[in-house]
Amino acid sequence: MKIIVFCSVLVFTLAYAEARTYRVSKQGKITTLKEAVALSDHGDTIIIEPGIYKEGNVIIEKSLTILGNGLPTMDGEHKYEIFTIHATNVTVSGIRFIDTGVANINDLAAIKILDSKGIKIQHNKFENTFFGIYLANTTSSLIEKNTLYSHGIAENQIGNGIHLWKCENITINKNNIKGHRDGIYFEFVTNSLITNNHSEGNVRYGLHFMFSHNDEYYNNTFLRNGAGVAVMYTKNVKMIGNTFDENWGSSAYGLLLKDIRDSEVTNNTFFKNTIGIHLEGVSRTNFTENTFTENGYAVRLQASSDDNVFNRNNFSANTFDMATNGSLVLNQINGNYWDKYQGYDLNKDGIGDVPFRPVNMYAMIVERIPAAILLWRSFFVLLIDRAEKAIPVVTPEDLKDSSPSMKPYDFAATSK
Amino acid sequence: MKPFVFALFLFLIGCAAEPEPLAYGKDQCHACKMTLMDRKFGAELVTKKGKVYKFDDINCLFNFYKGTDVSKEDYQHTLVIDFSQPEKLIDAQKAYFLKSSEVMSPMASGVAAFEFQNSELTTNWQATPLTWQELEKQFGE
Repeated sequence: MKIIVFCSVLVFTLAYAEARTYRVSKQGKITTLKEAVALSDHGDTIIIEPGIYKEGNVIIEKSLTILGNGLPTMDGEHKYEIFTIHATNVTVSGIRFIDTGVANINDLAAIKILDSKGIKIQHNKFENTFFGIYLANTTSSLIEKNTLYSHGIAENQIGNGIHLWKCENITINKNNIKGHRDGIYFEFVTNSLITNNHSEGNVRYGLHFMFSHNDEYYNNTFLRNGAGVAVMYTKNVKMIGNTFDENWGSSAYGLLLKDIRDSEVTNNTFFKNTIGIHLEGVSRTNFTENTFTENGYAVRLQASSDDNVFNRNNFSANTFDMATNGSLVLNQINGNYWDKYQGYDLNKDGIGDVPFRPVNMYAMIVERIPAAILLWRSFFVLLIDRAEKAIPVVTPEDLKDSSPSMKPYDFAATSK
Repeated sequence: MKPFVFALFLFLIGCAAEPEPLAYGKDQCHACKMTLMDRKFGAELVTKKGKVYKFDDINCLFNFYKGTDVSKEDYQHTLVIDFSQPEKLIDAQKAYFLKSSEVMSPMASGVAAFEFQNSELTTNWQATPLTWQELEKQFGE
């Protein structure tokens, strides 16, 4: 028995001793990464010393740890995809990737990962890459603390920052993405996490999410993206503690939800968006403890949505708190704070004694005739608005908050 | 007389049910609300009255077909984007279609349209060639 243990220890130590480290440097013995990759074996480490390396496309099909020392640059010379990884347990860290090729048929990326597992991409910088990090058919991987920046001018010249297609168990944490087509793109991605990322100034969406079930994203910031964030055709997604700010434009949304089921939108902040949340075909989803401030529309609830619950949200300084396009209301709206509420609280329990109707009469008219927004805030509109409040004709009778809160909620105190 | 001719001219222009190019990066898909981005994909319907509906992928067009009570006879033009000639709208009835899991279309239809037959991509993608009528059967029902 002892001999077996001894032997196995010996084998393990030998195996570890086998793991070698290669250094790539302009002055050293190995001057290109391609050479180092060719020499290396599974489990080896390659360290790249500072310098600019122009090597075209480097294909990695072994379990390697590739580390940059002092942020070496891999240059794609506007022609190539830089890394193509097809292996298990590969780590890429501390490298700067610049200027990949741009192609309309092939999605060229700085790092493309295909059919792989256990990949770690950390602390890298990406500048003017077409696609930054591209994962397809990959599982159990980590994308962390990378910075991705693209010029973001002509939308056909830029791809997505972090692009995932058919992946599972991926964590995307603390990345900073700017100026891409979609900051983070998810299609057919399940059981994954998107946390603490900052996605700003992307041409289309800060986050784009399709057919991706059982995912969670929290504490991300989505700022000034062309059309905000889109989450579509998905069930069971949790969106918690995110910030959706300043997404302005004729078709911009803080958050666009389309065909979503059994999901949760909690503790998010929507500030200065044309439309805070747009809901279309959304069912059985809870919206709680969100803050809507200074939006054009805080919530635009299309009649195709049902069984959703709006509870304990703060609505303040929005032009319209809620808009809808139908008269049938199948959603519950209860216990929210509305700064436009003018009711009273005689028994002093903190809950208004008369219901609040968040759908403004004029919002209904604008829904039908968009150009009518020109007359908004005119004296005449104010008059008919008052009349409508007394005797509702246009606004849906049942769309009301029967127990509006008299005071705004303090979520910072309750959540932390 | 001249103002009259001019007015008639305007009137005729106003009535023409002509296709409109898809403005990528600006236009929204009428069905899925996504901003159009990928110039290799897209579709457009123009009604006889001249109303234009734009789509980012072919399945969005069929979803729209299913969702409205407008009958197919009311459309003047049904157009699709040629995969190999980005942004070019071609007549859907005459187009060749390839369906394959290799086709990364915006709404995952997996269908690319072509003005001319493309045997190279058919073999590369191991794609199924389809006609418009066959597509209608697959997506329309």
